[in-house]
Amino acid sequence: MDKSYLELVQVQKKNKIEGLYPTTKLWILLFFVIWIFILSTIKFTSIQLPLLNLVWIPVLLFMFYISGDFVKCIKACRVILTIAAIIFLAQAFIIPGDREVFRLAFLKVSDSGLKKGFELSTMVLSIAGAFVWVFQTTDNKEIGQALEESGVNYTVSYIFVSTLNMINVLSKNSQTIMNAQRARGVETQGNMIVRAKAFVPSFIPLVLSAITGAEERVLTLESRGFAVKCQKTRVLKLQKSGLEKPAMIVCVIITVLLIAGRVVLWM
Amino acid sequence: MDVIMECKNVNYQYPLTDTKQIENLNLTIERGKVYGVVGENGSGKTTLCAVLRGFAPSFYKGELTGEVLYDGKPLAEYGDEIATKIGFVFQNPFTQISGVKDTVFEEIAYGLENFGVPVEEIEQRVINVMKMTNVESLALKNPFLISGGQMQRVALASVIVLEPDVMIIDEPTSQLDPDGTESVFEIIKAMKEKKKTIILVEHKIDLIAEYADEVIVMKDAKVIACGPTKEILAKTELMQQGVNVPQAAILGQKLKEKGLDIEYIPVTEQDAVKVFENAGKAGK
Ligand SMILES: Nc1ncnc2c1ncn2[C@@H]1O[C@H](COP(=O)(O)OP(=O)(O)O)[C@@H](O)[C@H]1O
Ligand SMILES: [Mg+2]
Repeated sequence: MDKSYLELVQVQKKNKIEGLYPTTKLWILLFFVIWIFILSTIKFTSIQLPLLNLVWIPVLLFMFYISGDFVKCIKACRVILTIAAIIFLAQAFIIPGDREVFRLAFLKVSDSGLKKGFELSTMVLSIAGAFVWVFQTTDNKEIGQALEESGVNYTVSYIFVSTLNMINVLSKNSQTIMNAQRARGVETQGNMIVRAKAFVPSFIPLVLSAITGAEERVLTLESRGFAVKCQKTRVLKLQKSGLEKPAMIVCVIITVLLIAGRVVLWM
Repeated sequence: MDVIMECKNVNYQYPLTDTKQIENLNLTIERGKVYGVVGENGSGKTTLCAVLRGFAPSFYKGELTGEVLYDGKPLAEYGDEIATKIGFVFQNPFTQISGVKDTVFEEIAYGLENFGVPVEEIEQRVINVMKMTNVESLALKNPFLISGGQMQRVALASVIVLEPDVMIIDEPTSQLDPDGTESVFEIIKAMKEKKKTIILVEHKIDLIAEYADEVIVMKDAKVIACGPTKEILAKTELMQQGVNVPQAAILGQKLKEKGLDIEYIPVTEQDAVKVFENAGKAGK
């Protein structure tokens, strides 16, 4: 036997960035959000665009890259891009303003619409991108266990991890369903409405069975000692990669520099 | 007689209902025996299981009178520890996966983790159980992404690993294909060999005939018959009570009515062969 099961079930990490301790990643996420807010207060151009919001896109791409999960992260970002684009268009076309910057047939884009749209969509894009980084470089079970270790209630972390897992499983199952539907000749490609038509009828039983099974799942957990009050053991060993301290120091330095820079600009 | 569980004058009623779902139940469960529970839908089999495990009333609430004893002590006195004494396996494999583990190995280990068993011991116990339930080849697979039969085996393994003395298994195969059913019964057989006490609800009567030592027949919230499998399942008049009777018994009964001189009504295929062979030889 080459490796014991205890070794095999541990999460394999590609490098020290991906292998950062889950709580460290959550801290980085928090710092990142703070940085975004600091830089977004610096406005440029005649209509006061927070152009520096765009800086976070290459930063995120760089983080995806050095974690060794570039492709995975980009795939997860696709839906966020769509959402950001919708936000941008909705804001840009809907919000009225004093000055028209752009006109497309009957659609008008005002200065405030453009500003709001840009501000909101770039914020959403960078914050969501940072979440993608955390969740694509960390297993759900690692996050759950890190939460538990930092004192979060056992039930809360159960709900957290099981929900994330369920999303994964449902999306894998839904892929299977979609393929089956396609094989039956149901249109599954195309715009949202076409897809929803193919999807919803086959998806409902899945969701229903997940809901009606709740009672049995509670009893299952009960049978597995979920509620037992004792020091629980864990097969999964959360590992530190060694870069936790340096990463935190870098985060603090960046924060200090950004705040200092911002203050200087004010003066 | 080595009694492990006992029900004395038990009546139970779910909340917001106006009839009893368990009525006047007196039952003695002996250590190391396999009990088959049969009866038509809605007769109270699942409720009986819930009462024996203590889920009724601890989880379902409702009103329970009488006594349910494990090793002579009321279930309630055991607290959480009862999970290591009485295991419970449900019908639907999907609802028995914890949802927080992404390998079968960790899924089976989950209960042991919750009871604070040391990690090295966990590994050994999980490996042993995976061998017994024939899921070792799935050890690193996601427990949600395996077949229903495999999931049910994992569910059984997750309970067996806690080494309960009594296993309550409620229709474990009703959602499985024949292969899945067979693999689940392989496990039941292995547990029977280990002298575990098993309470098994199962509609496939031929499997009950083969594996159960005793049969409990339920109808309308009451136990209407209870005794050794060979006696109970040979009573073809049970069919009027909505209970399936093995083909062997029906055939035996019919041939007996036609005048064939057989020693007893067989309930399994094996018995049938023996009985009819003897009758045939005697007839020559
Ligand atoms: N949670 C519940 N609340 C109220 N009534 C229930 C509940 N579960 C089952 N019952 C009722 O109890 C009776 C026995 O059901 P059950 O034990 O599930 O039967 P079986 O398992 O033999 O099919 C049925 O009449 C059913 O409607
Ligand atoms: Mg039932």
